[in-house]
Amino acid sequence: MQSFAIHNLENHHLARPKRAAEDHSLIPPCQAACPLHMDIREYVSLTAQGRVMEALQVIRSGNPFPSICAHVCAHPCENACRRAQVDKPVAIRALKRFAVEFGGDRMVECEAETTHDERVAVVGSGPAGLACAYYLRKLGYLVTVFEAHSQLGGMLRVGIPKYRLPREVLDTEVERLARMGVEIRTNARVVSLDLLFDMGYKAVFLTVGAHQGLRMGIDGEESPGVIDGATFLREVNLGLKPSLGERVAVVGGGNVAIDAARTAIRLGAREVNILYRRSRAEMPADDVEVEQALEEGVQFKFLVLPKKIRRQDGYLKVNCVRMELGEPDARGRRQPVAVEGSDFEMEFDTLVVAIGQAPQMPGGFGVRVGKGSTIVVDPVTLTTNRVGVFAGGDAVTGPATVVQALAAGRQAAGRIDDYLQHRYPKDAAESRETLVGDLRPETIEMIRRIGRIEPPALPPEARTADFTPIEMVYDWEAAVNEARRCLRCGAGAEILFQDKCASCLTCLRVCPYHVPYVDATGAVRIPADQCQACGVCVAECPARAIVLRRPYDRRQVAGELEHVLRSAAQTKPRPLVVGFCCQYGLFGTGSLSDLWREAGGSIWLVPVLCTANVEAHHILRAFEMGAEGVFIASCGEQCARENTEFWVRQRVEKARRVLSEIGLEPERIEVLVPSDHNGSTAAEQLDAFAQRIGTLYLASILMQEVRS
Amino acid sequence: MIVAERKSLEEIRRTIAPYERVLIVGCGTCATVCGAGGEREVALLHAGLRAMEARSGEGWHTFLEFTVKRQCDAEFLDALVDRVREVDAVLSLGCGIGVQAIAERFPTLPVLPGVNTSFMGMAKEWGVWDERCAACGDCRLAETAGICPITRCAKGILNGPCAGTKNGKCEANNEMDCAWVLIYQRLEKLHRLEDMRRYYPPRNFRVIPRPRRIVSKAEVAVGGNNG
Repeated sequence: MQSFAIHNLENHHLARPKRAAEDHSLIPPCQAACPLHMDIREYVSLTAQGRVMEALQVIRSGNPFPSICAHVCAHPCENACRRAQVDKPVAIRALKRFAVEFGGDRMVECEAETTHDERVAVVGSGPAGLACAYYLRKLGYLVTVFEAHSQLGGMLRVGIPKYRLPREVLDTEVERLARMGVEIRTNARVVSLDLLFDMGYKAVFLTVGAHQGLRMGIDGEESPGVIDGATFLREVNLGLKPSLGERVAVVGGGNVAIDAARTAIRLGAREVNILYRRSRAEMPADDVEVEQALEEGVQFKFLVLPKKIRRQDGYLKVNCVRMELGEPDARGRRQPVAVEGSDFEMEFDTLVVAIGQAPQMPGGFGVRVGKGSTIVVDPVTLTTNRVGVFAGGDAVTGPATVVQALAAGRQAAGRIDDYLQHRYPKDAAESRETLVGDLRPETIEMIRRIGRIEPPALPPEARTADFTPIEMVYDWEAAVNEARRCLRCGAGAEILFQDKCASCLTCLRVCPYHVPYVDATGAVRIPADQCQACGVCVAECPARAIVLRRPYDRRQVAGELEHVLRSAAQTKPRPLVVGFCCQYGLFGTGSLSDLWREAGGSIWLVPVLCTANVEAHHILRAFEMGAEGVFIASCGEQCARENTEFWVRQRVEKARRVLSEIGLEPERIEVLVPSDHNGSTAAEQLDAFAQRIGTLYLASILMQEVRS
Repeated sequence: MIVAERKSLEEIRRTIAPYERVLIVGCGTCATVCGAGGEREVALLHAGLRAMEARSGEGWHTFLEFTVKRQCDAEFLDALVDRVREVDAVLSLGCGIGVQAIAERFPTLPVLPGVNTSFMGMAKEWGVWDERCAACGDCRLAETAGICPITRCAKGILNGPCAGTKNGKCEANNEMDCAWVLIYQRLEKLHRLEDMRRYYPPRNFRVIPRPRRIVSKAEVAVGGNNG
């Protein structure tokens, strides 16, 4: 729960309305798990509707460098995603990548005005430093970033291999920062903070990262041919080509170990082994990366621990011992224990030790350093023991993720602002509750299984030749389909008007997921943590006491309909045909939109979030406003939900009855499905429908003339 | 619960014809539960009437809508006071009781029924309502295992089944269960089949003097020492 103040301040340049007070939605687990607290549900939903530029806007409002996160985020959101309880989590990172690429993030221009005189120094240009500089600049400060290396980026530049984060992406973000007016000083290693204060900086943000590789502390670790992971990756990333020999071993089980192993493969090592003292299950590395490493030919030797290294005849003879898993420790990870007498020897050309890193603090900083040589800070204010010196990122937490660093940078920017403006740091409390709890089995049972779509990647044999980025971006259809899998946790229905509720139990009877229930006092409840936000109860509640929790969802159908009717009234198309189309399915993936363009001006589409949200009075409203025909394009089997077409047909029948009562032909209302019983497509059905309406329209004109 | 059904638009059109401004009033209790006159049905009828007006080309009515908590209590009708000033008539989607309550509350206001009050019953499932009680004022459910032959038997006979029962269904409607077969089966489960053998004398078919009134409060004299 950090720095929401910044989150709001950040919005001012983007035309994004502030969260309305009537928004009763709960914070979904993905958002709660994100260190940046991104509104993931919102941008996934916008992506599902094909509104990719708006999705990017939401992403940018919460993330200073979305294109970086889109490539390398460790996605704690996906680990929290409740879709995993049904099948697999939504591929949030890949969807962000889609939004970034298709939404035109490259074109986004960030502007900042200088509104404060105070200058702030950021020491280190990793994700935390860059984020802090970005937000401080947004807040109107003059910011200088000091970087010891020749290029900005910190671990993004010297740690993460190019095949995961293309350097153009990083360069784009750095250039954007420079255009915002952030002063950048490369090859500038800061040795004394006093000097910075003497130079006139009023505050300093220390974010020097954790670049010092930890050592195993075994004999022979100093031998030539033994290198630590961070140094190895740094050398490669800065353009050196260390000669590794043919057989390489990497010690460790984290992401750095995997990166080092995959980098070694790309440098031409014939055989790369990862030696890890626990088993695959305990490996902290990202699963997908482990999978990809396997595909690329990296071999894993689990439950192995090097004990001694000897250099002999130009080779490294590594004496290892086999391990077994013992009792779980305090964190629940099973501790490896050496198996007596299981020593064996392996032979390598190079041994990369990637068992962790620690920050390396120049003595002149004078900041207090704690466990693992990390800087000690106040967790809320990020202040160190020195006045005006703040710290964050890996230098404080030890090696962590990019998104954690970005969040620390944002937090620091807010706190430095508070410090410079002599404000008491506000703990901006979020007014909305966080959704907790798992889905109940009976709800899970009813949720349609839709497999996770992984973004396309280069085949393993094409990857290992060089450092080409291996992951590609979704195409439009794959992205929409993947985004549709989102369960929209916490944005479901609620009985907003308890006094209106007649306890008729309609909601309980129509809910496809068996969510509403009658509590012990006889009141009807719709538990927010189970509701799937399909909107069926909202449209059926005879008292209209139920609404969707987000204001936008509530007004969506009526709002879009009125918009379309107004536009149609201006152009006066004859005969006017209005169609309600699922924005996720047919329309979202574009299969109807082509037809719509061809059909000329007389067919007007009302995009709706789900056709089950269309009510009979919406249909009648179209007829009142001069429509000669109305169709609902249901997404049929494509639908992420069960039974949508049943509800569509219920509403259509209701409207047809009224229509025949007022003397119009009921067949003026039609339901289109992706493929009907004759096998004709939605487009063909629409064609036939439009012709029928044309005939009816001509007939009615003739009748009028006969009468007059 | 009272179950009602919306009148046809044609009939509603005829009844509202003389009045320019019409307030459609829903009822938030039984009419809501039975899906005939809650806020949603008010909106649907409103939309239907407006569409009808627009399509006929001779529309001159204006419609307003409002739903009260319960039409059959005058206190809830206070919410209509300001609203009825602006209209020429009220179209009530409440049951017959609601229509009369509004008429009583607003003596000079024309009140028109928008629904036909059908019966007292319950929901069988979503969208299906069944009659269960005829309000005969002489309840025999204790003897018929909790199943009312007055409402559920086509003939309403007290000593059934008649010869028209076939495979548990009624001769009047072969999709309808024979109430007396249901009674037999339930008595069997209750181990009270002997109740079937009894003869039940005819009900009192004398016309019930109407309107009926029930006084549940006691007649007491206030002020003295009451003896």
